Amino acid sequence: MNVTSLLKEMHQAGELSSTQLGALTELHLKKRYSVHQELRAAIYIGVLLVTAGVGLTIRQYFEQLGDIAIVGSLTAGALAAFLYCFVKGRPWSGGEVESPSILFDYILLFGCTLYAADVGYIETQFRVLGDSWHDYLLVSAALFFFLAYRFDNRLVLSMALSTLAAWFGFQLSARFVSFHHYYRESAIAYSLVTFALGSLSHRLAVKKHFFDIYLNFTVHFLLAALLSGVFQYLFASWHLPATAAAIAAVAVYSMRTRRFLYMLYAILYGYACLSVVVLEFTHGAAATYMYGIVSSLAVIGLIFVLSRRFKEGT
Amino acid sequence: MNISLYTAEQEERLFIRREARAWARSGLITDDQLRIIDARTDPGLNRTNVFFRILFFLFTNSCVQAVIGFYAFVIRIRGEIAIACSALAFGVVMAGLAETLVRRKSLYRYGIEEALALSGMALICAGIVIFISQLNVEPRSLITTAAMLASAGAFWMYLRFGFPYAAVISVACACVVPFQLSLPPAGERAMVAMVLALVLLTGIRAEGFETRDFRKERSAILQACLLAGIYLAVNLRLPELGRAHFGDPAPFHDPHAGFPALFYWATYGLTFLVPALGLYHGLRSRKRLLTNVSLIAALLTLATNKDYLGFEHYAWDPAVLGVVMVVAAVVIMRWLASGSGEARRGFTAKNLLKPEDHGINVADLGAALLPGAIQANLPPSSPEKPFAGGQSGGGGASSGYGSCEGK
Repeated sequence: MNVTSLLKEMHQAGELSSTQLGALTELHLKKRYSVHQELRAAIYIGVLLVTAGVGLTIRQYFEQLGDIAIVGSLTAGALAAFLYCFVKGRPWSGGEVESPSILFDYILLFGCTLYAADVGYIETQFRVLGDSWHDYLLVSAALFFFLAYRFDNRLVLSMALSTLAAWFGFQLSARFVSFHHYYRESAIAYSLVTFALGSLSHRLAVKKHFFDIYLNFTVHFLLAALLSGVFQYLFASWHLPATAAAIAAVAVYSMRTRRFLYMLYAILYGYACLSVVVLEFTHGAAATYMYGIVSSLAVIGLIFVLSRRFKEGT
Repeated sequence: MNISLYTAEQEERLFIRREARAWARSGLITDDQLRIIDARTDPGLNRTNVFFRILFFLFTNSCVQAVIGFYAFVIRIRGEIAIACSALAFGVVMAGLAETLVRRKSLYRYGIEEALALSGMALICAGIVIFISQLNVEPRSLITTAAMLASAGAFWMYLRFGFPYAAVISVACACVVPFQLSLPPAGERAMVAMVLALVLLTGIRAEGFETRDFRKERSAILQACLLAGIYLAVNLRLPELGRAHFGDPAPFHDPHAGFPALFYWATYGLTFLVPALGLYHGLRSRKRLLTNVSLIAALLTLATNKDYLGFEHYAWDPAVLGVVMVVAAVVIMRWLASGSGEARRGFTAKNLLKPEDHGINVADLGAALLPGAIQANLPPSSPEKPFAGGQSGGGGASSGYGSCEGK
């Protein structure tokens, strides 16, 4: 049996229309071959490279170029990109809206990166808002959220969520990874806000397909923060029951929606939490190895049961 | 002779199911039609989804390591021979267990059998190498033996279980061998490139007789990996990629990267020729992975071109390359769209087959990191300016904890 013979068989049995037979055979034999994903990837990488080049040029030549040239060109670039999107974009809809062209999504992304560089430059050079500098982040996040919803752009939504995280005080640094007390509470607050925003959007049926992006940010920020609390306090705080409850919620969501990525998160975070607690009270190499064997087998057994329950054909 | 644990019919049925799922995702067939295809293509194998596969793989590996650790601790094995014997024994048991699971439980890409087979192979190779090390052989010979053993073991796994990554491991291990033969650096690279090219050409010739779709698909994956290997061997300037912009630039420009001039310029030509040939073959035979690897190689060629020629780097170089990529993509897109039926020679820019959506993808994650990356590249504040001294703003933030506290 092969694809062509199966399709012919189905067609003869009346299970496949002639149009479908033709289209699927063409696709299978690669007589019709889409390079859509490759073109999208090329444009995305291209935009990233342009953004990197603009950033490097500003960094290296900002003294020669002068503030007016830098701010002027970044503002003009960002405005041009946004203008293009508003002129060419399709009317707003609460559902999924297909982009008018492959390029469209990336022009919007490019506009957002230019805007971020522009505002960042103004703030680093002039510090207009003084100690209230962080409010720029909230404004940026709000703008990105608006643009993401207006033009149905997941990439800009990701930018919005990470900018909102920056407003909450997060940055990519060793200090963040070490999860200082301040960051832990901020992370929990951030994850709750993100979850609330995502849930609201989902409940109101406005861009329901964005929910997974919100949920991914929520899950990682919340579980990483709670897990860091378990690391620090073990049984002596609310972090352990909260972690267990959060993991259970993620696992239940995964099973109900059959989104198994969340089961992966639940099991990995759950195992890390269990290991932190158990290894704290385990002494000696033999006991540690035994824990490794028993816990791994238990997890394998658990996934095996789940795997059987949600048996997939492929 | 079929060495594989799975029959060709089973593999072909799985291939059909994969295709059918992509059609269903893209709305080309209905759910009922998908069910009909599923009913007619039951391979009699147990599969799981990619996330459970990852979990099975991780935890089986963890279990294997814990078992070995426990054994070593309890038995308190001492001496190289005892360690070698134990590694061999464990290796045979793991490999046997992997085979048993496939035979008895019909597991296919389940993660468990993959972890067991890989651990088994690694342990058997380690055991043999430890034995050989007792014969006072030279370190280079020992590394060569280890690489050849690992290559042979991985190839056996590829034949037996059909894991495409096992074939890649096999090729990668084989590539270590020329570097242990006391050849000059140019000879090492030339040998690697020639061996890989030979395997690639043999594979391309052999596939002409192949009728099974799953074998063609597997062969295309291997060809893409081989092409990547050849490119890595011939591009002498890859280690310097990005150093001019993001790292410490080299203190001086070595005109030929330490290689003979003739070899250097020959590889320069090859950095263009290899992606061009790969792209030609990939597009002609519609091999997506090979085409994509060739495109990445072409991009790397452009990115390392200035290093090769010894030209000065400018801060705007990435932007120029980015503009070239975007313009090229747009031109191709428009050219394809202007053809009859929005296609030319079967190639189209239309989205025919939707990829699997797991809720979030690499592009989304990349976009999430953009604000922070932009902020990190901004120039430091200059003290002469009014209100100067800030370290924050934009779409991202680079302020420290102290700055946040004041919020």
